[in-house]
Amino acid sequence: MSGRSQTALLAEGLARQGHVAPAVDACYQALRNDDADPLVHTLLAELFLSGGFHDEVIAAATRAIELDANCAPAYLALGLAYDRRGGMWDQSILVWHELAEVVPDLVIAHVQLGEAFAAAAFDAEAIEAWRTALELDPADARAMYNLAVAALKREGMATALPGFRKAGELDPSQDDFFFSLAGVHDNGKPTPDPSTVAPDRDSRLAAAFALAFEEDFFSAAGLIRLILDEDAGDAEALALAGYLYLKQESANEAMSVALRSLAVSTRTPTAVYVLGAAFAKRPGLNRNSARVFGALAKAVPDHPMPHVLLAESLLSLQRFGQAKEAYLRAVALDPACVRARFGLAAVLLTEGEYARAHWEIRRAAYYDTRRQGLFWRLYDTYAEGRA
Amino acid sequence: MPDDAAARLYQAFVSQDPAGAIGIIERSKRAGVAQAQLFDQVFAPALSLLGGAWASGAIDEYTFTQAAVIAEQITSFVIPPAASGDTGITVLLGTMHHDHHTIEKDITAAALKEAGHRAIDLGADVRPTEFLERVEETGARIVIVYAQLTGAAHSVSRVREMFSAGGRDDIVILVAGGPFVADRLLARAVGANGVVRGAESALRLVAKAAARAEARHS
Repeated sequence: MSGRSQTALLAEGLARQGHVAPAVDACYQALRNDDADPLVHTLLAELFLSGGFHDEVIAAATRAIELDANCAPAYLALGLAYDRRGGMWDQSILVWHELAEVVPDLVIAHVQLGEAFAAAAFDAEAIEAWRTALELDPADARAMYNLAVAALKREGMATALPGFRKAGELDPSQDDFFFSLAGVHDNGKPTPDPSTVAPDRDSRLAAAFALAFEEDFFSAAGLIRLILDEDAGDAEALALAGYLYLKQESANEAMSVALRSLAVSTRTPTAVYVLGAAFAKRPGLNRNSARVFGALAKAVPDHPMPHVLLAESLLSLQRFGQAKEAYLRAVALDPACVRARFGLAAVLLTEGEYARAHWEIRRAAYYDTRRQGLFWRLYDTYAEGRA
Repeated sequence: MPDDAAARLYQAFVSQDPAGAIGIIERSKRAGVAQAQLFDQVFAPALSLLGGAWASGAIDEYTFTQAAVIAEQITSFVIPPAASGDTGITVLLGTMHHDHHTIEKDITAAALKEAGHRAIDLGADVRPTEFLERVEETGARIVIVYAQLTGAAHSVSRVREMFSAGGRDDIVILVAGGPFVADRLLARAVGANGVVRGAESALRLVAKAAARAEARHS
């Protein structure tokens, strides 16, 4: 990094802070000093991408790749620009293929390659690319969503829906929703030690939620048992117990304690969520899950996830129009909700809206790469390699 | 009755008695609880009792888990089947000759099957004669013809001509595809009875067409 100009470093700093216009100015100034720095061209491409100037992205990223064929972040910006611009699937396929060659273990390159293949109607190649992505990372939700969409195109919604739900489980947003219902957020504090938790109900419950958040289910269950030993009708503790059973794929146990929790108090949104999620695991209980998630969507209207969960239940009932409305509400609440975008794409496919479906998938791709901070990861790795 | 049945079902779960649990479900059905209500009226309350017993410590973790296994064994008796029963309605679907677009057709065919209809997918690039042959062979009275290309959409008129020549004016032709959505008059021009706009629309139109056909025959 020592060989890079101060102006280039300034541009980079501004870009990281999201000051797009000054960063673009600084990039041009840096290029006036040194037109052969692929990092500056790459940075410029990323900045243009955030503004939707796709032709400019293509020019800047192409120049970066001309200067260094191993410039991985430039391939990322170029591929995303081709995808978002639309109608350039052949170039898009080439770019994602190149990125997968430059960084072979980059899961998202294979996911994007699959999406480019699918948009160009090379369905078998697309499925192959997503399978490669899942071999590299079996928990990649987007590859799973794409495989579900591929199943929808060939075999219909009944076959595709388990794939959507499986992808949803891999997607951390559903668990985040459960914890947000309980008012639990990642506050950066260390996980509590169960042996030092104060022996009162509130401390134990807060610690149990914190431990469950960190996926220490065994310790969380121990604290819940202590709470229930003092009050077997603690609705919130019961709801958390249901969540823990759900995470262990024990749907009947989850249903039992969630139903008990709701028998104690119907105003326990965490128990409503657990009950709906347990119902959703059984195809014959789609009406029940739609009813429960419908109630949850009314109780928590400003969060996208209950609308997504409701939409998925409606899909299983073949009420595609209502599912579309629920997905649209979720996307309006959170345009970056990848699960809602893919679900919406599925509904649009059932309506024969092929182009709009792929547009939603491209939007999901854009937000997913943003969420992962992929550009900066590739950029930093590449910059370190050049230093 | 359901309250009592739920309590007895809970006991069967805890006693690890699947045969007894099935017997309680059967007796509930005989007592007038509809199949669609068994889960809500008997099974779910029994599970709630089970959750309460676990929470209070009346049963231990091991018994709770074993009871859940018994509950699992009888779920097929209380959960409504995921797919609908056979409606007896046969629907032929196919993409018009010279057209190879299949996605919308495939999704709709799957949706019709899930709704209990006998959906017969003729595939893509289907000649008008084949529609007539398969109508005769299957006894279908509803045909959905897909066409995404303008030329193919116009040639759907040949399917209607083929049916007329074969004395099958009673066949309901529904059409689907971009050209029919873009030009509302095209469907009528090619002799179609309606335009399908996606899977849910197909379910609605097929139900409507089947009801009309039923009314004509009764």
